[in-house]
Amino acid sequence: MTGDAGGQALPAGLRERVLSASLQARAAGRPEPAPAEISPAEAFSRTADAFHFTLGLLSEGQWAAHALRDLDVQGLVGHLTGVEEDVHRSLTGDGDPEVAAASHVGSTQLAADRQAGRPAALTRAEWRRAADRTIELVRTADPSAEVAVHGMRFPLGLLLIIRALEIWVHENDIREAVGLPPSAPEPSTLSLMTGAAANLLPQAAIRASLDDPVQVHLVLTGPGGGTWDVAVGQSPSAPAAVTIVADAVGFCRLAANRITGAELDPYITGDQDRATAVLAAASALALD
Amino acid sequence: MLLAARLAAGDDYALAEVFDRFAPDVYRAAFLVLRNDAAAQDIVQDVFVELWRHPDRYDPALGTFPTYLTVIARRRAVDVVRSEVRRVVRQERSCRTGAADSSPSPSEEVIASHVADAVRAAVRLLPDSQRRIVELAYFCGLTFREAANVAGIPEGTAKSRVRLALAKLEAMLDASLLESS
Repeated sequence: MTGDAGGQALPAGLRERVLSASLQARAAGRPEPAPAEISPAEAFSRTADAFHFTLGLLSEGQWAAHALRDLDVQGLVGHLTGVEEDVHRSLTGDGDPEVAAASHVGSTQLAADRQAGRPAALTRAEWRRAADRTIELVRTADPSAEVAVHGMRFPLGLLLIIRALEIWVHENDIREAVGLPPSAPEPSTLSLMTGAAANLLPQAAIRASLDDPVQVHLVLTGPGGGTWDVAVGQSPSAPAAVTIVADAVGFCRLAANRITGAELDPYITGDQDRATAVLAAASALALD
Repeated sequence: MLLAARLAAGDDYALAEVFDRFAPDVYRAAFLVLRNDAAAQDIVQDVFVELWRHPDRYDPALGTFPTYLTVIARRRAVDVVRSEVRRVVRQERSCRTGAADSSPSPSEEVIASHVADAVRAAVRLLPDSQRRIVELAYFCGLTFREAANVAGIPEGTAKSRVRLALAKLEAMLDASLLESS
C-alpha cells in the first residue's frame, strides 16, 4: 500500500506483528525498570535493618505510645521478638509441632508482656539479636524446605518474604503511632512482597470462602510492582475476568489488612463486584 | 499517566490498549515522511517495541502519550530518509568511481524515489554557482576535475562549492522533511 495515509485503518496484521515483537523483546508481567533480584533472606535482612533504624529514631517516651491491639510500641517490638523465637524453634525442630499450630498473637504474648518496664534499648537489642539469629539460621538452609509456624506452612523462602512483610507493616504501625511518615520497602524487597501477595491470592480466596471463579489480571504499579494473571475461586462455573490496577505498596498494605479495598482506590475493569470481592479476600491471610 | 505506570508494570493489556488508541497516529506520522507502507509499518513496530522495552523514557511532563509517540515516529522516519540520502549519495559516488554496489530492495527503491524528488527540489534552491557544480558532479556523473574544467574553475574551488552545497542540502532536506511530517 502506498499513497494517502488519511484513513484510520491500519494495515492488516500490523497489530499482531507489533504486539508479538514487543512481547518477545520484554515478557509480559516483568516490570521495567526491573529491580535487582535478591534472595528472600536478603529481603528479610534489609527489612530488619530498616526496622532497627526506625526504632533508633524513637525517643524513650515514644516507646510507650499505643501501637496495635493492646500493645504499646515496646510491646509490639516484643511481639516481633516472640515471632522470631517461634521461627527459631520451627527452624531448629525444637518445639515442633507445637509452634506449627500456635496462635500468632497468643504465642508471642509473653514476649510482648515481658517488655513492660524495661529500658527501650534492651527491647531493641533483644529484637535485633532475635532477628540476627533468624538470619543466621536461614543462611545455610534450603529455601524450598517447608517450614510450619503459627498455622502457616510455606517454603522457607516464602516464609521469609511474609516475615519481611510483617516487620515492615509493624514498622509502619510504629511510625503511625509516633507521628513519623510511612516508609516503603526498597524495590527489590517490595518486588518479592508483591509477588508473594499476588501468588497467595488463591489461598486467601479459599480462606475467605470466595467460591465464584475469577480470572484476575493484577497490575501493581510503581517500583517493585509487576503484573500477574491469577485464577481464584473454586466453583466450576465460568470465570469472570477482571483487571485490577493498584499501587504496589498499597496492595501490600491491603494484604496485611491495614487498608480496605476502597482505600486502595484501584482502577478496575470487568466485573466490579467480583473484583471488590477479590480485594476483600486479599487480606484473609494477614497475621496481626 | 496510569497507562504509563501500567506499561512499566509489564501490563500487556495496557500495551494493546496503547496500540489500539495511538497506532493509527503513529503510522500516519511515519507514512507522511516516508510515503511507503512497509517502511511506515517498520517504524510503528520500532516505536511500540521501544515504548514497551523502555516505558520509563516517556516523561508525562514533556507531553501527552500520542505526542510522544508521534514525535518518535517522525524522528525515526526522518532518520530513515537521512540514511537513505547518504546511501544514494554513496551510490552515486561509487558509480562514478566504478565500484560495485548492491541492488536496493523494492521498498528502498520507493523510498529512494521519494528522497530523490526531495533532493532535486532542494538542489534547485542552491545558488547558481553551487547548483551548477552539484549537477555536473552528481547528475551528469563527472569527476570533480571534469566538472571543474566544464565550469571553468579550479578543482579545489569545485570541491569547496560541493561541500558547501551538501551542507545546505542537508539543512534544507531536514526542514522540508519535518514540514512534510
